[in-house]
Amino acid sequence: MLSLKLLWRNLRSGEVRVLAISLILAVSVVSCISLFTDRLERSLIQESHTFLGADRVIKSSQAIPESWLQQARESEVRAAKKITFASMVFAKETMYLASIKAVTKGYPLVGQLTIADVAFSYDSDAVTVTDAIPEAGTAWVDSRLLPLLNIELGETVFVGEKELQVTKVIVHEPDSGSSFSVAGARLLMNALDLPETEIIQPGSRVSYQLMLAGKASQIDSLIDNLSPQLGVHQQIVDIESAQQGLSKTLTTARKFLLIAAVVGVLLGGIAIAITARRFAVLQIDQVALLKSLGARSNKIRRLYFFQLLYLSLVTSGVGLLIGHFLQELIAISLSELFTLEIQNARLQSYLLGVFTGLVCLLFFVMPPLWMLPSIPPIKILRRELDVGLLKQYWQFILGLLAIVLLIIIFSQDLLLAAGVILALTVLFVCSGALALTLMYFGGSVGRRAGSVWRLGVAALERNKQHSLIQMLVFALAIMLLLTMLTLRTSLLDEWRLQLPEGTPNHFLLNIDDAEVSEVEAFFVANQVETKPLYPMIRARLTHINGELPSAGVQLQAEALRREVNLSWVETLAQDNAIVAGSWWDDWQSKGDKGVSIEQDIANKLGVGLGDELTFSVGGLSLQARVASIRTLKWDSMSPNFYFLFSPNALDEFYPTYLTSVYLSASQKILLNDLLQSFPTLLVIEMDRVIEQIQVIVSQVSFGVELVLVLVLLGGFLVMWASVSASMDERLQEAALLRAFGSSRKRLLNSLWVEFSILGGCAGLMAAFGAEVLLLSFQYWVLKMPIALHWFLWPLGVVGGILIVGSMGVYACRKVTFTPPARILRDVNS
Amino acid sequence: MLSAHSLTKSVTTSAGTLLILDDVSVSVEEGESLAIVGASGSGKSTLLGILAGLDTPTQGQVIFKGQNLTELDEEGRADVRAKHVGFVFQSFQLLPGLTALENVMMPLELHGDNEARSKAQSFLTRVGLQERLQHYPKQLSGGEQQRVAIARAFASSPDILFADEPTGNLDTKTGAHIIELLFELNREHQTTLVLVTHEARLAKRCSHRLTVEAGKVVDDPIPVDDFAPVDDSMPVDDSMPVEAKP
Repeated sequence: MLSLKLLWRNLRSGEVRVLAISLILAVSVVSCISLFTDRLERSLIQESHTFLGADRVIKSSQAIPESWLQQARESEVRAAKKITFASMVFAKETMYLASIKAVTKGYPLVGQLTIADVAFSYDSDAVTVTDAIPEAGTAWVDSRLLPLLNIELGETVFVGEKELQVTKVIVHEPDSGSSFSVAGARLLMNALDLPETEIIQPGSRVSYQLMLAGKASQIDSLIDNLSPQLGVHQQIVDIESAQQGLSKTLTTARKFLLIAAVVGVLLGGIAIAITARRFAVLQIDQVALLKSLGARSNKIRRLYFFQLLYLSLVTSGVGLLIGHFLQELIAISLSELFTLEIQNARLQSYLLGVFTGLVCLLFFVMPPLWMLPSIPPIKILRRELDVGLLKQYWQFILGLLAIVLLIIIFSQDLLLAAGVILALTVLFVCSGALALTLMYFGGSVGRRAGSVWRLGVAALERNKQHSLIQMLVFALAIMLLLTMLTLRTSLLDEWRLQLPEGTPNHFLLNIDDAEVSEVEAFFVANQVETKPLYPMIRARLTHINGELPSAGVQLQAEALRREVNLSWVETLAQDNAIVAGSWWDDWQSKGDKGVSIEQDIANKLGVGLGDELTFSVGGLSLQARVASIRTLKWDSMSPNFYFLFSPNALDEFYPTYLTSVYLSASQKILLNDLLQSFPTLLVIEMDRVIEQIQVIVSQVSFGVELVLVLVLLGGFLVMWASVSASMDERLQEAALLRAFGSSRKRLLNSLWVEFSILGGCAGLMAAFGAEVLLLSFQYWVLKMPIALHWFLWPLGVVGGILIVGSMGVYACRKVTFTPPARILRDVNS
Repeated sequence: MLSAHSLTKSVTTSAGTLLILDDVSVSVEEGESLAIVGASGSGKSTLLGILAGLDTPTQGQVIFKGQNLTELDEEGRADVRAKHVGFVFQSFQLLPGLTALENVMMPLELHGDNEARSKAQSFLTRVGLQERLQHYPKQLSGGEQQRVAIARAFASSPDILFADEPTGNLDTKTGAHIIELLFELNREHQTTLVLVTHEARLAKRCSHRLTVEAGKVVDDPIPVDDFAPVDDSMPVDDSMPVEAKP
């Protein structure tokens, strides 16, 4: 209880208050970031799951047995079936090749279906969100299907033999963009009506999906149970495999937010270490007194241990509370800005906050206090006795260890941790050397310069170790801020680069050879720019080097189990890159036809340069040698092909053409004219997919900006702590100078000189460290090409001077405004 | 009560070994008072620290109540200090974050005394600070601070009280009051008193005097009137909370 009393009394006395505020701020910054990161990440994953309409999907080319649904129900996993295929839809005298989707109750399991009673309505009053699916005997359709079939809502259409009444239009379906096989206007129907259509016959090209949603562990165990029944026809799809580009973006965002959290801990930790050291120095007298009063070392150790334990418990609690409310506030504003359903934070993110508090206590607070119990009691009589507090470099090493530990735990990414540690080491070694050089030259130059400069430089030089540490701290804080700032902007830039304005948002397929010029003329007439037309033929890969692919390869490569699109092109698209072999310009044909393969599929097929592939094109055989291996960007929204042939290689086959266009919302109505003129044309509306991706990108970047604000707070905390740590010394010096007749303005100017030099040097070192950090992050984590960030250098130096200068002068203003006699009295008492 | 035999204290510095105390012997009986006098740097404070068990001699031994302090480890000496010893310091050594009352309660609480508050209150009343219980050291004058320190020293009912220049930071008038108070309480509680001073008036009040010069006890003590002239002409501003060091 005595320790609690002591803590309470110490709290009143300012010294503990500074430590407590540092702890509270560190825990609240960290817990806010970790809570928010966790929630945002889970929300984004949830949001991205709506691309699937489920958490996991079992895709099959054969009908899903009813027993699987039963098994899912038993495993408490929500399940629904989805059957998709293309089929002609008839209405009176018109017909149209529609994309049919038959679903069972519960669809979609994740995300929401939006419908309306009025065609072409995007007005929020007219649309409703529904949990239902079309009743048996009815169908819901894309608005544009109505004019295509020349019908109104309420009229009936035939899908095969079954007559369905069209009751609603579909405004938005969450899983619209999950597959490129979606083509043509949608007709959504109840799976119960499917048998009566008599459309699905053996050999029909139909995709069956069992959609699953629920706890990941339960889905995993269900899939484990089903796995004996899963064969080559079934494939399990999760968000990773469904949206590779998006999942990469999510991973990058997650790492970024994690780094932000670690930076928060780092800044909080530094602030805590500085205040804890000051606390320890102030406690020396108290410990000496307690010892003279007969307190044993163990008793003192206990007294301080429990004081710190209570302090960290209380501050962690308060910090968690503040962090919780702060992130709640962010989450609310986020969900108001974007229609994002924010998930609740998990208990483990709160635990992370508490764990952080504990690590801070162990690695930042305890070390400087460790030697307190061994202070000799004679210290009370011999004030000049030097007390061996933990050496500062040990404290530094321990702090670094803590940060490394936290980075590894937070990011679970050794490469990332290595990058951060490398940058920190480089920063500390270089800045140490630079700071010492500066003090050496600064000392001699300063002594010759004007008196204001002399005072400022002398202040830096007087306590080299102290100045060095301050410079390192400032350099570190500025480095992190610069890194955050650059990462944030470059991260956004990268996203923007991936999806620039005017990115094609519609794919047009199945354009007949004879229609090419008409389609082009149609877009020219309507002032719509099109991408080049790619010829396309459907084929099946049958043999590799004249042999049937092994069962293992068949299982791995989906391309072997279905028809693939082949194309040919003379010039390599911008988003493609050759990784092996050579493009057609340098390729030695030796009379063979050449094919360029996408890297992943080449790996799955196990083929390399020079291997011979045999395709079956409508029963005709086509042989080609692998001339090159390419990487490509699926998320560039341009037409891309696994197999690209050499020019003229496909001349003997009858191709259709594929292109992509950008249509603004107002131009979308053009699709109806287009489809009426060319009824066999297929359209994939990528704009809906792009829209979803862009919403996610803006959600992430908004979150990142908010996190940056919190990190800035941490940076200021460090500066505040480090300035107040040197306050006593400064007050005494200033009082002496004032007593000797130095003017207030002179003192103020010398403070500016001191902190500007400190800030400028720290900024220079920070720019260097940030550059190292950014380059390694770019190279290893983002896997982007390396590019130097020139703007960092002037920004670092000028920013350092302004931030450190003004903060330092502001923090020391007390020094210039307090009467000298009073300072001398306070310091001596 | 307390005796020291052939105490030697040397410290090793970069300049070589420095002899601070050289073969010092001293003894004081229960209820007596001993003044250790000497010039600045003569080693008198070191002697006080060793006698009080705050420090250990390089050679020699200190016997307190029949117990050899030099054979005890730091923890053992801490126990002896806790049970028997009180201190008054030149710079008062009050904890700045604690009120006068809490400062006096501190040693009592440290020993688990349940009546710490009431005892501390009565001692502060005894030294005339009943109106100042909730004041912080900064709000008290130097004399008042030293009175709090004296209350703290007597609160744990020590058998022996060590005072290191108790008037060293005070002006003459306040110092005189403090000396008065110290000896009054000493009489009331039958405490043995060992003090270090260079002030003649204070040394005079003690029953025994020991003069230390360059670490050695000087056989022929200098007359107390001569060794430390008191400068009464120095102006004193009582309104200032803490007086500057001379």
